[in-house]
Amino acid sequence: MRLVIRQHPILSLSVFALAVLGVPQPSRGMALPADAPATSRATPPEAEPQPLTPQQVEFFEKKIRPVLAEHCYACHSAEAEKNKKLKGSLLVDSRAGLLQGGDSGPALVPGKPGESLLLQSLHYDGDLQMPPKGKLPEAIIKDFEKWIAMGAPDPRFTPPGAKKQVGLSIEEGRKFWAYQRPQPPAVPNVASPAARIANDIDRFILAKLEAAGLSPAPPADRATLIRRLYYDLIGLPPTPEAVDEFVHNRDADAYEKLVNQLLASPHFGERWGRHWLDIARYAESVTLRGFIFKEAWRYRDYVIAAFNEDMPFDRFIREQIAGDLLPAATREDQKRQLIATTFLQLGNTNLEEQDKKMLRMDVVDEQLDVITKGFLAQTVTCARCHDHKFDPIPTRDYYALAGILRNVKAMEHANVSKWVEVPLPADPAMEAALKKHEEVVAALQAKIAAAKKAAGGGKPSTGVLAIADVPGIVVDDIQAKKVGAWMHSVHSGTYIGSGYLHDLNAGKGEKTLTFQPEALPPGRYEVRLAYSHGTSRADNVGIIVASADGETEVTVNMKKAPPIDGRYVSLGDYRFEKNGLAYVLISNAGTQGHVTADAVVFRPLEKNEAAGANPQTPATTVAALEAELTTLQATGPRREMVMSVVEEKVIEDARIHVRGNVHNLGEVVPRGVLTVALQGPPPRMPKDQSGRVQLADWIASPSNPLTARVMANRVWYWLMGEGLVRTVDNFGTTGEPPTHPELLDHLALRFQSDWSVKQLVRYIVLSQTYRQSSVGEPATLAADPENKLFGRAHRRRLEAECLRDTLLAVSGQLDLTRGGPTFPASLAADYNYKSTSNRRSIYLPQFRNALPEMLEVFDAADPSMVTGKRNSSTVAPQALFMMNHPFVIEQAKFAAARLLAEKHPDDDARLTRAYRLTLGREPTAGERAVAQRFLHKKTEKAATEAWTALFHALFASAEFRYVN
Amino acid sequence: MPSLLSRRQWLSQTACGFGALALAGLAGREASAARRFNPLAPKPGHHSAKAKRVIFLFMQGGVSHVDSYDYKPRLIADDGKQLKFDDARIIANTGIRGTQQRVMKPLWKFAQRGQSGLWASELFPEVNKIIDELCFIHSMKTEGVAHGPATLFLHCGSTNFVRPSMGSWVLYGLGSENENLPGFISIAPSNGNGGARNYGNAFLPAIYQGTPVGRAGAPASEATIRNLAPYLPPQLTQEHFDLLREIHAEQLRAKPGDAELEAVAASYELAWRMQQNAPDVLDISKETKATHALYGIGEKATDNFGKQCLMARRLCEAGVRYIQVTYGDNSANPAWDQHSNMPKHADHAKAVDKPIAGLITDLKRRGLLEDTIVWWGGEFGRTPYAQQNGTGRDHNPGGFTVWLAGGGFKPGFSYGATDEFGAAAVENVVHMHDLHATILHQLGLDHEKLTFRYAGRDFRLTDVHGRVVKDIVG
Repeated sequence: MRLVIRQHPILSLSVFALAVLGVPQPSRGMALPADAPATSRATPPEAEPQPLTPQQVEFFEKKIRPVLAEHCYACHSAEAEKNKKLKGSLLVDSRAGLLQGGDSGPALVPGKPGESLLLQSLHYDGDLQMPPKGKLPEAIIKDFEKWIAMGAPDPRFTPPGAKKQVGLSIEEGRKFWAYQRPQPPAVPNVASPAARIANDIDRFILAKLEAAGLSPAPPADRATLIRRLYYDLIGLPPTPEAVDEFVHNRDADAYEKLVNQLLASPHFGERWGRHWLDIARYAESVTLRGFIFKEAWRYRDYVIAAFNEDMPFDRFIREQIAGDLLPAATREDQKRQLIATTFLQLGNTNLEEQDKKMLRMDVVDEQLDVITKGFLAQTVTCARCHDHKFDPIPTRDYYALAGILRNVKAMEHANVSKWVEVPLPADPAMEAALKKHEEVVAALQAKIAAAKKAAGGGKPSTGVLAIADVPGIVVDDIQAKKVGAWMHSVHSGTYIGSGYLHDLNAGKGEKTLTFQPEALPPGRYEVRLAYSHGTSRADNVGIIVASADGETEVTVNMKKAPPIDGRYVSLGDYRFEKNGLAYVLISNAGTQGHVTADAVVFRPLEKNEAAGANPQTPATTVAALEAELTTLQATGPRREMVMSVVEEKVIEDARIHVRGNVHNLGEVVPRGVLTVALQGPPPRMPKDQSGRVQLADWIASPSNPLTARVMANRVWYWLMGEGLVRTVDNFGTTGEPPTHPELLDHLALRFQSDWSVKQLVRYIVLSQTYRQSSVGEPATLAADPENKLFGRAHRRRLEAECLRDTLLAVSGQLDLTRGGPTFPASLAADYNYKSTSNRRSIYLPQFRNALPEMLEVFDAADPSMVTGKRNSSTVAPQALFMMNHPFVIEQAKFAAARLLAEKHPDDDARLTRAYRLTLGREPTAGERAVAQRFLHKKTEKAATEAWTALFHALFASAEFRYVN
Repeated sequence: MPSLLSRRQWLSQTACGFGALALAGLAGREASAARRFNPLAPKPGHHSAKAKRVIFLFMQGGVSHVDSYDYKPRLIADDGKQLKFDDARIIANTGIRGTQQRVMKPLWKFAQRGQSGLWASELFPEVNKIIDELCFIHSMKTEGVAHGPATLFLHCGSTNFVRPSMGSWVLYGLGSENENLPGFISIAPSNGNGGARNYGNAFLPAIYQGTPVGRAGAPASEATIRNLAPYLPPQLTQEHFDLLREIHAEQLRAKPGDAELEAVAASYELAWRMQQNAPDVLDISKETKATHALYGIGEKATDNFGKQCLMARRLCEAGVRYIQVTYGDNSANPAWDQHSNMPKHADHAKAVDKPIAGLITDLKRRGLLEDTIVWWGGEFGRTPYAQQNGTGRDHNPGGFTVWLAGGGFKPGFSYGATDEFGAAAVENVVHMHDLHATILHQLGLDHEKLTFRYAGRDFRLTDVHGRVVKDIVG
């Protein structure tokens, strides 16, 4: 283990470098981190050193200093600190540094070698092992022991320097704009004509443009505007008919009516829900092992419904963080609130991390990241290992927040841990049916148990059984790999194949048997062990079954008769992969009495491919009953499950994890929230609950300076193509400051008056600012090339979902079915999964190892990260996809067939139609000429082929990807 | 008419098109000016480089160092004895150190090999013949006890967080030497244990992502780049592309100088050139019979990996910056993962031995080894004792061996050591971060300067760690 746990990357860039790189420096009177006042970190009491004897000085200079200089200074000295190479905040180039210590506490206690961390680490005794390149020779370590025992005499006296906090102090941080509550801004007076002003948004935008002597772009033409509005609000293109209707409708309120109509469309939630799913890192599987989140779709549908129903955003926050703890008036409320908490469970968790303490904190960290980035645009998780390097977020705050989530059980830990699922409440009729079904199942299970017992005790099949007569794949004892001396025996007379083995009741802990089938077709199996029982046997034989899901330990009492057929004991049901682990290891460690093993049988539980020569036949009573049970379970009513969390049994505050290390715990921090963003008294954390309700209340409160601003900015970004704060997920000091702080506050205050996302969307799209053309005035373009003043509309690349949905809409193949699960429930892993669905893209399974190819290629959000702002790349794989992927060409074929089936007078009219469907405009004269030349070369017979080519080229064309 | 976008904006928004470079022909723009816009154009590193490219031979699952290259006589002397070891998995699970384990001797005989007299077992007889080219690190240490975390750590420098893979960092740092091919190619990557994340770009611009060629478990003869092969017959493919070009010309005529539209048009030009060139580069049938034989192509055991190694050499020759060849599969316990059956190592060794020796020999005779780093290793090593007293070995992230060849690494050299059993690295310990830093160093990149700003922070492949192991480079 390294001294510094590798959990977390931190900045390696100095403030100086930031300035050089032109990264915007925080404004509004915020001091640079270097000027920040020193923290209150305690300085060791010893101020004056004792005078040293010449012998002591000599010992130090000869034995200690050279070693420190050679092996430690590179990372633990003032010089290292200057070079940004200081590790663990520990300085060993001064006595004060050693006494004060680093992140793990004081490095030495003079006179007490046993209590000195320095010595422990030199001994490589525990997690701290220094120097990292290798343990020093024993003689040197002895010198250090002697030196510390002497009182660590050290002539390198320097006044103990107080440590500087790297980040911003809380007091200074409170002055930063984002941590101050939004104030109602005065709406500026502007000189622009009234036609340019639809609402106050325009006044804020125009005021800045006017101040710069610039003018906004003219309004977009109506065909462009309706296409933009359709994509922005519902993510689908308008039909040419809808465009015509709008273009020709001269009613004063035609635009407003169109806005209202689209806001009321059920497709609104499918478009806007997807925005939120990017932030919620929504996925339906985990990367490692490709395990499927079978129930995640419920959350997707919840989000879509929340946007469609315009759930107040503060409620949306509370339900996702603490829905399971909130009171619910109806069963539907209760269901919905439970589903909302899936939000906490969608992380791409490393389920097979072996250090489960660390895994627990990794889950907490991930939850904290999505909560704080998503709702507050804060990079809180920087403070897991150290105070935030730039923002006023001390490690204490991190553990105050982490303490809340640490009280929440998200995982059932095992070799491979499993996320928590809980049953959804059922309606009374269903509940009754479920109860009845569960009773029947329980009764049948009891019957099976009894039958097994009867078969075991009453009619054991004795004697020798040929391998060929055993259903399943048999590994006989002679095939087992032996470690240590095992005795072959036929003494009992009851065995499979060629007798059985026993360990002679000797050499305990030295002997094992490994039963490994030569070839095991992938699938699920019941694994059985046949053994020879008797009073002389061991009653606690440890057995390990290694399967695709890791290793499982089972203990078998061999004094007892085998419960199945008097021969076998079931070791459980397991999944095995191709080339994966598949073996049973029997150990005699810790046993008293003979350990025996006759054979191991792998019995297929389902129809595995080529499941071997001995398929399972329901010949016995037990088998018949088991078959009945399987049928019953498959056909009976099922309890609906949901990914959720439960409160831990023990509710406690967390301790600081020194440098993020779960094995190096510091002081306890009371649960709480972000100090710098706290207005008024801190929330009181309950003793009997995690504190999630209080956390959610604090985030959803109008007194929180961040929440409303962050969401208002997101909504602005989704509609306008850039945020007022361009770093939409980072409102910290390393983020960009708002271009229009007053407008941001105006929107935030408006938003938190009703928390209605639809009203906010409506307000923004009704502004003239939204309705501008994407072609700006030349002077504005020249003065503001990055469009920070919003003096024109940002032209935007269509998101992957819009591109795919448009292909399907144009081809006529789009399936508008809404909601529900979208992949087979039996799916075990996501590897190589391919969906052939023609539903809207939001309903394609979001598998982390098998993202829908078109979405992946066109920059859909990485479902492992909080993504407020997607990439918009232009790369060759996109071109290859559009050129060669069968999906694109097939849609072009469908579109061609559809066009040719419509009534059009001639090819010219068809071409107009094709352009309007794909690009939302009519072809230019040049484009008509290109198409005519192309069509001319083709015979009439090849019309479908020709129009397929045209649609294919239009789909692939650059303009298809953009919305003006 | 001026461009609608500033250069900076275009670069940030297209994130980033190689665009204008390929477009030079189409829009008549001067190529050298366009080159400046191309984020994949070759870039100078931070300092002079000893190597230009990397071939990483990934031995998925974890090769046993004590059965291959880390000679430990104590294992033979104490074979079968129960001794106390610090087992990484047990420590992670329980925190308990010093647990009883049964020492298991190496299954293959060790001897000193080559002029350099380096120790190696008979597990890889062909590689032993070229052992004087290799630079061994016997003191490797990494993070992650399970395959998933350790595999991600090996590729991305993090066990859990989503981070760019090493090839993406290198491509980001150095650009590519071939305009017609992807700059980072992963041959036969595994779906399992992190899958695409192991060649992913994470938060780096998408243009730096690795391009998979084939996949684990599929025959090398079918390996290609996704969507490279036209779906339509050749004549129609050509026809559709010509029509697209004409339509693009019209779209650009309406919006002259529109950088975004130009970038898209340019991406098709590159895709088209890839479609013409890449199949040739991947086509190993162009090689002589003697070369095929050198890689073991045509022999049952070595055919597949031999083809993949030869493909790697052809890509390397064509100027691809970073190439990975995975010997593995898609299971949770891939290839070399012998928990219960150590002798199975022989099958895997047989499959890779001749192809690897062939690759090194071939690179050397073509003068490519000099500036190509060949890196061989797994995500961790294996324990010197039997797992649960059985017949296999468990994972060992605390001490294992990798080797490097070419690219300025000292040939016929051995560095660092594990303890007398091979359980833990103790002398001149090289952490995986250090290895990453050293490979970057040879490529002319300073691992502390190769940063990318994301979410308000500067990220590095080596996080806040890593040191260049100067002792192993010439």
